[in-house]
Amino acid sequence: MSRTISIEPVTRIEGHARITLQLADTGEVEDAKFHLTQFRGFEKFCEGRPYREMPALTARTCGICPVSHLLASNKACDDLLAVTIPPTAEKLRRVMNLAQLVQSHALSFFHLSSPDLLLGWDSDPATRNIFGVMRQDPELAKSGIRLRQIGQSIIETLGGKKIHPTWVVPGGVNEPLPEDKRDVMLAMLPEGLRIAKDTYAFFKNLVPKFKDEASHFGTAPTMFLSLVTPKGNLEHYDGLLRIKDAQGRIVEDMVPPRDYRRIIGEAVEDFSYMKFPYYKPQGYPRGIYRVGPLARLNNAEACGTPFADVALAEFRTLQDDTGPVTSSFHYHYARLVEIIYALEAMQRLLKGEDILDKRVRARARGNRYEGIGVAEAPRGTLMHHYKIDDEGLIDWVDLIIATGHNNLAMNRSIKEVADAYVEGNNLQEGMLNRVEAVIRCYDPCLSCASHAFGQMPLAIELKDASGQVVDRLVRE
Amino acid sequence: MQQHALIVGYGSPIRGDDAIGPLVADRLAEMALPHGIEVQARHILTAELVDDLHRVSRVIFIDAAADTPPGEVRCRRLQPDATAMSTMAHFHDPRELLAWCEALYGEAPEAWLVSAGGAEWGYTSYELSDTARAAVEPMIACVLSRLGLGPGAELGPELGRNWAPEDTAGAAAGNNAASLARPHGSCNPSDNPRDSGRPDADTG
Repeated sequence: MSRTISIEPVTRIEGHARITLQLADTGEVEDAKFHLTQFRGFEKFCEGRPYREMPALTARTCGICPVSHLLASNKACDDLLAVTIPPTAEKLRRVMNLAQLVQSHALSFFHLSSPDLLLGWDSDPATRNIFGVMRQDPELAKSGIRLRQIGQSIIETLGGKKIHPTWVVPGGVNEPLPEDKRDVMLAMLPEGLRIAKDTYAFFKNLVPKFKDEASHFGTAPTMFLSLVTPKGNLEHYDGLLRIKDAQGRIVEDMVPPRDYRRIIGEAVEDFSYMKFPYYKPQGYPRGIYRVGPLARLNNAEACGTPFADVALAEFRTLQDDTGPVTSSFHYHYARLVEIIYALEAMQRLLKGEDILDKRVRARARGNRYEGIGVAEAPRGTLMHHYKIDDEGLIDWVDLIIATGHNNLAMNRSIKEVADAYVEGNNLQEGMLNRVEAVIRCYDPCLSCASHAFGQMPLAIELKDASGQVVDRLVRE
Repeated sequence: MQQHALIVGYGSPIRGDDAIGPLVADRLAEMALPHGIEVQARHILTAELVDDLHRVSRVIFIDAAADTPPGEVRCRRLQPDATAMSTMAHFHDPRELLAWCEALYGEAPEAWLVSAGGAEWGYTSYELSDTARAAVEPMIACVLSRLGLGPGAELGPELGRNWAPEDTAGAAAGNNAASLARPHGSCNPSDNPRDSGRPDADTG
């Protein structure tokens, strides 16, 4: 008889999710699904609100990456105003985005994934947690705390508070940067860079140990989507969209974010509240792609900062051939490269001559009925798209979240890992932990990714005490 | 560990009475507290707070409570507890952070939780309920009591004096701060470390 294994809740991720594995009579994995079980509905309840409220409203989507929503939302509002924000404002926004990237990547690597990486997937689940890491390598745990603190402190220094700062506004930022605050931030960065380099060196030596996991953790071919600079380099705040295929060929390039709907479609399934974006020209579900640090590094010609470029060259050697790095396991590696980049880039920006310039905000009223803002969140490309009426009230909202872009890939990855490790007739905890761990590679933020898309298809299953489905109600 | 104290009020500012922690912290930050006392108002407790915890000898968390009668103020001792782990990653229980501190630095500061029962937790509610509002002053008195700074202390002239820890556990029951708290509950310390007073509603 076929059986269903449910892993719930999926631990050490942001939000609530479930994984189900459908086993055949033989014990082999027939199907695997990643279910987002919570419903938020931001796209719907933002309707009718003044567009200037959108940055504050949408930042509440998440307590871990509010800065990403704040920036994408304000960029969409800049577009509604039809203004070009002052150059210094753009640089200050960039610093905040990079600080967000540092703290978020640090949380993912040091606190969520390091128990698996340091203690092993088959270690005792009772101690396979942050406390196990602290016992094994307290300095590594302290490094994670310090890097997060540096990222959060820079966000707080710029924005006035760590969570949900309101300093970024439509048209720029609401206050210029005082010299003393600039100096405080600059003083933190050398320590952060030292920690980041040390951690990178440590992990680079550890990676060969995970050859087996790297060869099964999401290696199926997909495309990669990210922003790049006009020169094709690493970009997190602005730029143009690029898509590479699994062989490294560029299939879309220099696509203005305003045209994202030409290349990105959104599908829904009845087993999850998360949408399934796909590459429109290839259709659903064939148009599968990944976003986030792995995609950004695969798509970039260069990072543009000294040490990050050395690390990028080493990152590329993770792949045996000359194509993109395909294993989702290497999201971890890519995060460490990006932390180095972010710290180097912040130093460069803060040392710039015009960073203290007083002109930091363009003022205007709504001049367009439609605004689109795209930025790179730590987890990948984040898209905010608003339409407003004559009164400036929101008519329609579409949010395409980084974690959503990865939805198809995450579902495929758990099937791949389950195929490789799960024996239905001899179930071991370490097998299921690997299924969870591949999801952690993507560092999904499910609080961000659960949204309404018109009428969600919904399936309700009634199971008897033995787990047999006795009734099923489906709303298409 | 230095002879400093940290006050951390936490909660969501847009979920009704959950905001009482940061609001009380803001009030305390406006007072002329002695040097060596730092006040933080936060939305949630996050991992990097551990770096602050290991630098102080005493910490007082201020939070709203969903498992306490509305308006009732409680003060309880917290112990490090590694089992108080959140399955989510973006917020932590104060006892978990104390356990992080103990595991990484060998010791955790003396810790207290001053909480007040909330009545309203609705989203996009920016005001405290009348019940919670009435608990603000008793909570402030409780925190000052935990620091050995009763309401009789003239805080203004003490600016410039360094804060030094003293044994306040036994003093709370009979001092003026506790009396202030009585109309709304008890400020007497409880040693039940499992009683976190944390509202389930606290989300990112």
